[in-house]
Amino acid sequence: MDILGLLKNMTITHWSFYIVSMLTLFGALGTIMSKNPIHSVIYLILTFFSLSAHYIMLNAQFLAAVNIIVYAGAIMVLFLFVVMFLNLREENEELPKNSILIAASIVGGIIGITLIAAIRQTQIEKVNPYSFNTKTGLVETLGSLLFNKYLLPFELVSVLFLIAMAGAVMLGKREKGERHF
Amino acid sequence: MYPILFLSFSGLITLFLGFFQEGKWVKPATILFLAIASISAFIDWNKPGAYFFNMLQVNNFNLLLSLVILITAILIVAISDNFKEIEYAHSAEYYAIMQFSLVGAIMMTNFQSLIMLFLGVEILSVSMYVLTGTDKRNLRGNEAAIKYFLLGAFATGILLFGIAMIYGGVGAFEIDAISGTLASNQAQSLFLYIGLVMLLIGLLFKLAAAPFHFWTPDVYEGAPTIFTLFMATIVKTAVVFALYRILHQSFQNMHLSWSYILAGCIALSLIIGNLSAVKQISFKRMLAFSSISHAGFLLLGLLHVSKTADKSLLFYSVSYLLASTSAFGVLLALKNERTENGRSNENISVFKGLATRSPFLSAVLIISMLSLAGIPLTGGFWSKFYVLTDAANDQFFYLIVLALLLTAVGVYYYFKPIITVFEKSDIQEAITINPIFKIIFVLTTLGTLVLGLFPDLLYGMI
Repeated sequence: MDILGLLKNMTITHWSFYIVSMLTLFGALGTIMSKNPIHSVIYLILTFFSLSAHYIMLNAQFLAAVNIIVYAGAIMVLFLFVVMFLNLREENEELPKNSILIAASIVGGIIGITLIAAIRQTQIEKVNPYSFNTKTGLVETLGSLLFNKYLLPFELVSVLFLIAMAGAVMLGKREKGERHF
Repeated sequence: MYPILFLSFSGLITLFLGFFQEGKWVKPATILFLAIASISAFIDWNKPGAYFFNMLQVNNFNLLLSLVILITAILIVAISDNFKEIEYAHSAEYYAIMQFSLVGAIMMTNFQSLIMLFLGVEILSVSMYVLTGTDKRNLRGNEAAIKYFLLGAFATGILLFGIAMIYGGVGAFEIDAISGTLASNQAQSLFLYIGLVMLLIGLLFKLAAAPFHFWTPDVYEGAPTIFTLFMATIVKTAVVFALYRILHQSFQNMHLSWSYILAGCIALSLIIGNLSAVKQISFKRMLAFSSISHAGFLLLGLLHVSKTADKSLLFYSVSYLLASTSAFGVLLALKNERTENGRSNENISVFKGLATRSPFLSAVLIISMLSLAGIPLTGGFWSKFYVLTDAANDQFFYLIVLALLLTAVGVYYYFKPIITVFEKSDIQEAITINPIFKIIFVLTTLGTLVLGLFPDLLYGMI
């Protein structure tokens, strides 16, 4: 295998794909391997940003923007807030038991092998860049899909959010006679 | 279809009804809404078809399932008694969330697209997480809610991952498309197998089948009894028929692969459920383990793709719903019995002397226990009979033997409350029962007996 030849023939798209993928994997590994929870959260934000870069390369600008606004913006800030609120420190960290570590690595390894086997077995159809519909992934296409084919699920999601909202307010409400914080 | 739309709006109305006259209209209004929703299901009667670009499928069997779910909900709302067991009860919110959760349950039984299945599971589960934690001052309730929420969120994640895998293997969310791809004799993508296993893990968790049952005893015990009843009946029915639609109507050609997974789960559920129930002191915990073993029996009905599977499952669900409603209902009727720490006494010993204090309640309890154990002349016997007949096959013969052996174990622990009923107790005062409770008990007990004496009334009708 001529690696140098491969490198020479790589286009700018290839380069950006590999660089962004490396960043994504680096961020994901950092998330699970760093001991400080705040570092974990920051690594996770890096992962989300590089995932958004992937979306842009797939011509899905809207998803990229939403991914940054919702995940990197709202949810990650919430994570950081909780981490700081709970004031997690490194010292009270305990390594899980050996038996759990062994079981977890066996299970994870098996899932990993199965997924790799499935990917190797699958033949992905190549996209013809000349006949490709460039509007795929834009807001317009997404909107018309959401309000035509997926109208019912789209509307029923509101029921889900309403339950979550009503439930959170109900559970978090201070009752008469409970102490103030 | 129409119950979903109607309940989405009526839930909203119920939320606002709580503001008027201290919410005394909320309970009658909820019963009225549920009744209208059940009637609205009949708009589609004898008109099979699909709604909203193949998102929901309607046919008479699916409508019957929606009806079973709605009628059970009416029974549960009727014996809810404005949630007097909960400190600081917010009745309007509870009734509204119950109606919303029914939207999820009906979506799970009528779905055609896997997106609808996911949304249904999520709507039902989120409402259950909330309802589990409603008794805010009860530490056990809080523990149960957080446990259920964390584990349930994880299971939902796995379910969603599975749906994504299936989409990768087929390229469509519709269950017809999946069965079409499987029927064409091409080599199947491995992603379909991975997706199916993950989908099964997610749904079996919600069904409380072993080895995904660890949350069940704590959650059943910690949640207020009325919501435990809701979980044991409506959630179970919805999940079982979601599994039925997935395994029997879209993945039937992969029967050889999934039947072994199911067989393992069935064996584990039956063993763990029945053997752990034996040593329980708390009545609710005992019923939790019994619900694990019933999950095993329900899965036994799914084991073979046969034409009678849907009938047997529906029969099993109905008789289980009736018996559970009576059993938990008796516990609710006795909620004034307190232990030393001021909480409602939920141990089996609460039934001590019930035979002299209230012969009516003891009869209800005894018949429901007999039905859960599967003694002849009750609905429980025939439901076990039909399910085992469906599963009877050379391949999984040992499972039938195991099920029969463990049913005998079941008889032991179901008889513990019955024996306690006839023990002598120091308290002699008679128990006054709310007339609504009486009506519901008469209905469920008669239902159990009628199903036991004339099983063909339901089994032949479907």
